[in-house]
Formats: sequence, structure tokens, C-alpha cells
Amino acid sequence: MKRTPELQRLEEILRVSRIVSGGFMGNDPRVLEEILDADAAEVSRHGYTTEQIARRMLELTKRAQAGLGTPVKLDEKREGFVDENRGQLVCPWPHAGRYLKTVTTLRRTDTGEIIRWSDLAVHMIGAHGFFQGRGSAFRLEPGDLVQILFD
Amino acid sequence: MNVTAELWQALVVCFASIFTGNILLTTFLGMCSFLAVSREVKASVGLGLAVVFVMTFTTLLNWVAYWYVLVPLKLEFYRFILFIIIIATFVQFVEMVLERYSPVLYQNLGIFLPLITVNCAILGACLFMVIRSYTFLVTVGYGFGSGVGWMLAIVAMSGIRQKMSVARIPKGLQGPGITLILAGLMALAFLGFTGVLQGK
Amino acid sequence: MSSIFLSVLIVSSIGAALATLLVFAERYITNYGECEISINEGKKIRLQGGSSLLDALTRQKIFIPSACGGRGSCGYCKLKVVEGAGPVLPTEEPYLSPEERGKGVRLSCQVKIRNDLRIEIPPELLSVSEYECVCTDIQDLTYDIKQFRFGLKEPSRMDFIPGQYVQVLTPVYEDNPEEVYRAYSISSDPSEKEFIELIVRLVPNGICTTYLFGNIQVGDPVRINGPYGQFRLTDTEAPIVFIAGASGMAPIKCMLHHMVKTENKRKATYFFGVNTLKDLFLAEEMKIFESRLPGFRFVPVVASPEEGPGWAGEIGLVTQALERFSTDLVDHEAYLCGSPGMIDASIEVLRKHGIPLEHIFYDKFS
Repeated sequence: MKRTPELQRLEEILRVSRIVSGGFMGNDPRVLEEILDADAAEVSRHGYTTEQIARRMLELTKRAQAGLGTPVKLDEKREGFVDENRGQLVCPWPHAGRYLKTVTTLRRTDTGEIIRWSDLAVHMIGAHGFFQGRGSAFRLEPGDLVQILFD
Repeated sequence: MNVTAELWQALVVCFASIFTGNILLTTFLGMCSFLAVSREVKASVGLGLAVVFVMTFTTLLNWVAYWYVLVPLKLEFYRFILFIIIIATFVQFVEMVLERYSPVLYQNLGIFLPLITVNCAILGACLFMVIRSYTFLVTVGYGFGSGVGWMLAIVAMSGIRQKMSVARIPKGLQGPGITLILAGLMALAFLGFTGVLQGK
Repeated sequence: MSSIFLSVLIVSSIGAALATLLVFAERYITNYGECEISINEGKKIRLQGGSSLLDALTRQKIFIPSACGGRGSCGYCKLKVVEGAGPVLPTEEPYLSPEERGKGVRLSCQVKIRNDLRIEIPPELLSVSEYECVCTDIQDLTYDIKQFRFGLKEPSRMDFIPGQYVQVLTPVYEDNPEEVYRAYSISSDPSEKEFIELIVRLVPNGICTTYLFGNIQVGDPVRINGPYGQFRLTDTEAPIVFIAGASGMAPIKCMLHHMVKTENKRKATYFFGVNTLKDLFLAEEMKIFESRLPGFRFVPVVASPEEGPGWAGEIGLVTQALERFSTDLVDHEAYLCGSPGMIDASIEVLRKHGIPLEHIFYDKFS
């Protein structure tokens, strides 16, 4: 399918990314627009918006940061801690802005589920609706994510 | 035909190719970039302008190549190959010139040029121009009008798609599905223009 | 028969004529000739036009930082072009503020060299070199932190100021299709100029740490460039408080080596924050520093010590330990290295107890 040069470039950067190992697309054979459309549909099916999801993730990260690397109890069902590493990540989309390598690990104390996200991943979800391709180490399935964050 | 009559016909053909015989919505040429690029308005405008430019000049160049090279040599059947070669060369040349003398324009429009070399609407317009035996002036009107018609269609589509982003579209129809339905609806709307102008 | 031959010949020659036209057009239009770049009103470089400013400078061994390989998506490669850059391109606009645009700051990866240029580069960047090294030692400090020693081969010496960092090049390997640079502070003694040591913590799915932890063996070649950075000790006599956790120890350790070698008598206290006892490392080295520097004290702070032989040292977060020592902190200079979260929290405590911002120096992980 024909695409604008920017979209092609963007997908190239996402696949071959020098920003995180393995790129952002994992081994997903679908094109970027398909992934975005499919994930957008799933998010709206669960009754949330990507902005709401991103806001909640940022809120949890902020509270977990008070632990300076040690686990913090966030509420009766959730506990999290934050690791920060040197360096900045740049968003693959063509706009200014740098994101710190802050990795938040969230654990559900009732089900034991563990998910991880970086500041950049949260930005990509909130601003671009991108949850990363299947097979990427940091992909968050919108359905699972909504459950872990909000239920 | 004298010059005024030709100019008048050029004008009529120009308007006809925008509305009644819109190359995209009536003859369905140039659909692939139309479907893909109409996601964003800015890209659509850029691509549309590039198409107007390329369509106008390639129809002219191909008119000259057809009537002054192919016809005298009785090689009319070669037009498919020759037109494509000329289109590709022209686009390459323009890209080089643009990149050198106007980097800003190149970034805004020039990056779309390789995308439209294989746009079937360009070749289609050149072939129609031959089939309908347009004269030089009429070809100018036709090429320019077709380009503007294509641009009108893609910009309108991207505007509609942007508005649609808040609609709840069934999962199976998202993306190309709903766009084709919309294109069909737009074509139906343009059908209403038939008979308005008595041009070809 | 002959008509087929003739027609094929005619169309092929038209095609060939057009192709030739393009070749000549390219040679004439895209040829920019020789251009001269004048740097900081001093150094002049002559080269063939046509490449980007970033590429040209890198080829001249002037290392302008870049995180996206010249694609125009990181904004790191900004520098001031006084004259000759042409109009600002749409790809640059998202990264330049109005004042930057007014001053002539541009993205050097997007500026194409078409004519003579006058540019300004921060002088520190001009003293950065590229080093071919060989890995001479790898030590496990904890389950996720390793210490690497790289012997410098070409050039064979590096002069650096304690507190500076280098950029390690991660080459192409199976999970990484392109080269990438990552920054690590130098932890070894600056008087030993023929090798450098780095303390590296494994970052989940980090390109460089995965490479360093997984692929590098003793004897393998490594490329680095540096030294970079403005984080360093002052020349005063003021007592020092160091605050750093995990790999943030690297620049502190480097400064301590320097203090030993220069017989620096300043009083120093190092608050080293970790999560659990198994995150502690290089405690023996710190004891050696304590014996060599009479004014130095190492204070490890463990947030959640595990069950077992009792931990007699400080417990809790580094900021809490700082609070407990607060009465001693007046007149101190503070040197911090670590995550922005830890640094911001520590700065709050330090200021609360009377240390002004001008006496607080930090190397944020950013």
C-alpha cells in the first residue's frame, strides 16, 4: 500500500530502532497503521481512551518514584518500584521532546501479574496510541493493561 | 479550430475534469495513494499539489512526444512504454532541481514525487488525452484540471477521515474498508454533476 | 521484421537519451563543488559539498552528539551556523525554539553543505577523541552490575578529569542492526592514563548493556569516544558530601582515587544508597579509601536489608540517612550522581539544611 514518506520513515525507525534493543515493533508482521487501528479498537471496546490510560500510568509512576528504587505500596491491589538509568530516549515520532529512561515495574498483589513500562512507552500510548508491536519486550496488550491498571 | 474556441474548450474541459469527469471519483484512477495518504490533511495537501504539478507537465510532454515522435514514426502502440519513461524521467529531474534550488519546497512537496511516478492517474490522464485527441491548449486545461480534481478528492477525503476519528467504526471496516465506502459515497455525490457541462 | 527491429531501436534510443540527460543533470545539478567550513573563527576545513554537516564533521573526527544517526529525530546535534546554512527546513522546526532560531542554531544532520559555512561548536567538543580499546578485565560486582576495564590502544592515553564520562560504541550485532553510543562515567584512577574502568548496570533490553553483558569477552576490541562532561570537584577546601547509588558510584570512585593521589585533605562523606544487602559492592575498596584518606567516611544506606546476620549500618532511603546527619552538613559541598528522582529528593534535603544551590553539583542521568 502506498504511504507517505514520513510514515515509511517512522515505521523504519520503529522497526530498526537504535533506541531499545529489538526495536519497538517486535516481530509483528503487520504495518504500523494496522497495529494502531487494531489497538485503538480494543481500547475503545474496553471503554477507555489512550489518554486516560497514559495519565493513570504516569500517576502510578510518580507515586512509585518516592521509593527511590524500593517498592512502594500504591493501593490495596498494587505495588510498584521505579528504576532510573542514565541517558535519554527520543520519541520516534518527529517532534521535539526527550524522555528519561525511567522504568516502572507494577505488581498486582492479588493476582501476581507484573508489567513494566518506560516513560517513553507511556508517551507513545498517550500521544500516538502506540502500544508497540507483538513480540516487543515492552508491548502492553491494551486489554490486559486496562485490567491491571483500573480493575 | 481558432485560438479562442480552443481556449474556451480548454476551460470547459478543465472544469469538466474537476467535477463531472473527476479522474479519481468517476474513473477510479489513483486509488492507492488516495487510500493510504488521506489519513492526514497536511500530507494530502502536499501530495495533491505535487500531483497537480506532475500531471500538468507530463500531459504536455507526452502530448509532444506522441504527436511529434510516435505518430510520424507510426509507433503509436508504444505510447504506454514511452509515456511511463517520460513520466519517470521528468519526476527524477524535477526532484533533483527542487532539492538543489529550494530545499524547503523539496521537503514540503518533493518527498512525494517518487510516490506519484507510479500513480496510475498520471498515466491515465496521458492516455485519455490521446484517446480524445485533445489539442495542445486543451491538453493543458485537461492536465491541470485532472490534477486539481484529484487533489480536491484527496483533501476532501482526509478532512472527512479526520472528523471520523471520533466515530465508532466496526472493527472489520476500520482503515481501508470505511475509506472505500466513503469514496463510493463521494463518487455518488459527484455523479450529481453529470450533465452540468457539455464538455467531454 | 525490420520494422520491429527499427521500432525497438527507436524507443530504446529515446529511453537511452533520457537516461543520459538524467546523468548529466545529476552531475551538474547535484554537484556542489568544494566548500570551506570555518569553525569558531579559527580552524578551517575544505571538503566536497553535498553531505550533511554532521557527517562531514564526524568524518573530520569532530564528534557532535547524535542519538538518531542523522535522521533528524533527536535534536542532539544542534550547533550554531553563523552563515551559509540556507533556510530552516521543516524537519528542523520541531526541535528549535524561537531564540535558538534567532541565534542561528540548526540541526547539523539536516544542514546540507552547499556552499561555504561559518559555524560555532562548544570548545569541549573539539577535544574529544575516538579511542580503539581492548577489554582487559570484566568483574561481577553484583547480580546486575559489572566493572569493565578497557585498555587504550590507539591513542594509548586519555587525559580526563575525574567526574567525566565516555561514550561506548555498540557495534552491529544480532539484536542490533545499527551502531549506537551510550554514556558511562569513568571510575578508574585518572593518574592511570592507559586504561579506563566503567561500572555498568544491566538495563532491561538496553542495547549497550545487553551488548556489554552478553557479547563482550576479555580480549575483544571496543571503540569509545570522550572524555565528556562538566561534573568535577571544585578547588576549594570545603568538606564534601557524596551521594550516589548503584552505577552512580563510578565518578565518585574516580574522584576518590584523585584525592588519594593528590593527597587532598578535604573531609568527605559518601552516602551510598542501595535496596538490599546484595546490591552492595566495592565495600572493600571503600575501606581502602577510608584508610588512605583520613577525612573520608563511607556510609552505605540499605533500604530493606534481608533477614539474617544483622545489618548494623544505616537503614532506609538515602534522603532519610541525610536527614539524620543534617547537623553536620552546613558548609559542605554536595556532589550527586544518580537518577533525577534521587537527585531532586536529595537536593531538597540539602537545601533544607542550609546548603545553597551553588554548592550542589550533580551528574543527572539525563
